[in-house]
Amino acid sequence: MLVLTRKLGESIAIDDNIKIVVVQIKGKQVRLGIKAPKETKIHREEVYQAIQDQNTEAVQANMSDIARLGEELKKK
Amino acid sequence: MKIKTTRFGELEVNPNDIVTFAEGLLGFENLKRYFVVDPGDSTLILWLQSTEDEKVAFPIIEPKIFKPDYIAKLLPADLNGLELDSLQNAKLYSILTIPANVTEMSANLKAPVVINSNKKVAKQIVLQDSKLSVKHEMYKQLKMFIVNFSSDDARRTSYEPSIALEAGDFKSTNVNLNNNRTLEAQ
Repeated sequence: MLVLTRKLGESIAIDDNIKIVVVQIKGKQVRLGIKAPKETKIHREEVYQAIQDQNTEAVQANMSDIARLGEELKKK
Repeated sequence: MKIKTTRFGELEVNPNDIVTFAEGLLGFENLKRYFVVDPGDSTLILWLQSTEDEKVAFPIIEPKIFKPDYIAKLLPADLNGLELDSLQNAKLYSILTIPANVTEMSANLKAPVVINSNKKVAKQIVLQDSKLSVKHEMYKQLKMFIVNFSSDDARRTSYEPSIALEAGDFKSTNVNLNNNRTLEAQ
């Protein structure tokens, strides 16, 4: 992994079209601004983890729960 | 072709109904080929069944059923992978999580599944909108929809497991092409 040191207001360029700026440093938090082409996907890493966890939970669904859900949904 | 499934037994599947997720689904990257099963029950829930692992099936539903104002804003990169030349050919589903306490069921609005039924390719797309939840509780809204449409039950009384790849038109699920984006991460 390439590690770079940057100060407030400084930036990093990735390829010709992606720029990451240090916008704010507050205690243990760093605020980053990212300029990138609109087709570039940018997410916090934990978003992917949350989706992966959700998918793993989703396939646990069993038919007896579904049957019970069907009953519950039909109740007036 | 015959495909074995844990939940639905052995199903006769038309090879044309099998869609390929080139990248798999998050956490299930090794499984690429799926088909949609409509068990025809009263819940309106469909299943995205893996052809490669009989145990793996994701309960899915069209989000417009419980959230008519849901908008999936796709980026140009998302469309490339889907070979979509027209949004007409795309279908949008949310993956459901159904815990033992079924009233706590939730839908993943952040990462819907988009299926191009024409080209038989599909993708789980992580949407950029940071307000969308991976665990959106929607039991009440689903129940309201089902109660309101219970007079329409005759349409869904067929009990044979059938393969359904047509389900609602894409326009009404509000898929928009998003050309503006915010690029500041917080």
